[in-house]
Amino acid sequence: MRKTDKQAAARPVIEFSRVDLSFGDRKIIDKLDLTVREGEFVCIIGPSGCGKTTALRMAGGLVNPTGGSVGVLGEAMLKPRRDVAIVFQDYGKALLPWRTAHGNISLALEAAGVAKAERGDRIEHLLEKVGLPGQGDKYPAEMSGGMQQRLQIARCLAQDPKVLLMDEPFGALDAMTRQTLQDELLSIAADTRATVFFVTHDLEEAIYLGDRVVGLLPDPGRIGTMTEIGLPRPRDQLSTREMPEFLALRRSLFDFIEKAEA
Amino acid sequence: MTFRGNLPWRIASFAVAAGFVLLWQWIADLKLVSPVFLPGPDRAWNALVAGMTEGDLATKLVATVERMIWGWLIASLAGIALGAAIGISPRMRAYVAPMLEFLRPLPASAIIPVAIALLGLSDAMVLFVIAFGALWPVLLATIHGFSAVEPRLYEVGAALGLTRRQTIMKLSLPSASPDILAGMRLGLTVALILAVVCEMLAGRDGLGNWILLSARSFRAPDLYAGVILLGALGFLSSVAIDWTEQRLLRWRARAR
Repeated sequence: MRKTDKQAAARPVIEFSRVDLSFGDRKIIDKLDLTVREGEFVCIIGPSGCGKTTALRMAGGLVNPTGGSVGVLGEAMLKPRRDVAIVFQDYGKALLPWRTAHGNISLALEAAGVAKAERGDRIEHLLEKVGLPGQGDKYPAEMSGGMQQRLQIARCLAQDPKVLLMDEPFGALDAMTRQTLQDELLSIAADTRATVFFVTHDLEEAIYLGDRVVGLLPDPGRIGTMTEIGLPRPRDQLSTREMPEFLALRRSLFDFIEKAEA
Repeated sequence: MTFRGNLPWRIASFAVAAGFVLLWQWIADLKLVSPVFLPGPDRAWNALVAGMTEGDLATKLVATVERMIWGWLIASLAGIALGAAIGISPRMRAYVAPMLEFLRPLPASAIIPVAIALLGLSDAMVLFVIAFGALWPVLLATIHGFSAVEPRLYEVGAALGLTRRQTIMKLSLPSASPDILAGMRLGLTVALILAVVCEMLAGRDGLGNWILLSARSFRAPDLYAGVILLGALGFLSSVAIDWTEQRLLRWRARAR
């Protein structure tokens, strides 16, 4: 539904074309070519040092390439823009500890110049959407890791993003919380029709969430494999993960990572 | 000092203070120290009450408090503004930090002669010295606070599209506020000390001058009355800062 037919028709949203990135003498990314289409959910995997987080930071405009170009929604991505939201892995650092949940979401609306009278309702709505109804008065330090990450996602949704860049967002959470958040993310992505660029080190997570999984090779970072995920949607934590296709994909990506790390 | 302690602790701390006063009274009653130099708490208290009601001790107290507060406010505003400008830019830090390290350990009282030469024995001189002395703790704490802002927060600010002004007001300043308040607390103590020292040296009316003149004319009870007032002043200002800190940094208390 999300995938197949749109693959050809949908317009490109994130375009890496022959992207190089070096820090001094060290080449981090080498001639990366990748196009993510509108509404697509792309997962990036790869061993540590393959530049997957760096690629995400370039898509977010936090780092500029030293060669080639990164374009988002038809424009060169030289600095961050409001309709491209970034969810960081370290929610503890990305949230403002001196603001309540309500205040943290409000920051995004304040930045966008939303009138004060309007903010309250929108914040309540967003809190509900990420499963934190009535938790607006809590400070991040009073929330569990899962709740904090939900809050960060809510703040990103307050930007009304067309693109969601997620850097191992569930990496620090326990398995049960992670599965719940995966499903919630899928329904949010389906609702908002946002394009998602999702970096993870968890192969099963990548297969479970993605329309496509891109595997990067390290030193320097480059594309090693690209796999379409044909699993039917909506996906289900039990039945999807038991499907033979799921297991086959898991096996082949596992082999890829093993070779990449060798 | 925080006062979220429970009742037993408060009673205990009160008992210690009461014991100290009793000991003082006992030493004075037994005349272990000549009464010319050490009056008992009873005589000091009487002098305090007399000074406040019949004498002009209250006016002197107000004069000292005003100096302390104004000097401290000027120092705090200047310290936060300068500290923010320096702390936010690594280049400014590199340029300015060595000079600050040279100026910082100078005792503020050492610049009193310079200030007198420039401004005379005036209230402006006193205010200048207080502001100069109280500036350092605020300035250095603010620089530290601004340079220690979590870099991730700036990335969040950039991704949300905050303007530069919004970034400073909504991210840097609140993030640095615990450091700034700690610096302001130190600054307030420095301001009180310098207010008293300047009054003594420059003969401006106030508690410092009152203490000096009382000592010179062997009015020991008056002297102690002044010292007691200074102690109370220090204590009250500390309580006021505590209260402010607890209100402004409520998020920290909740996090524990």
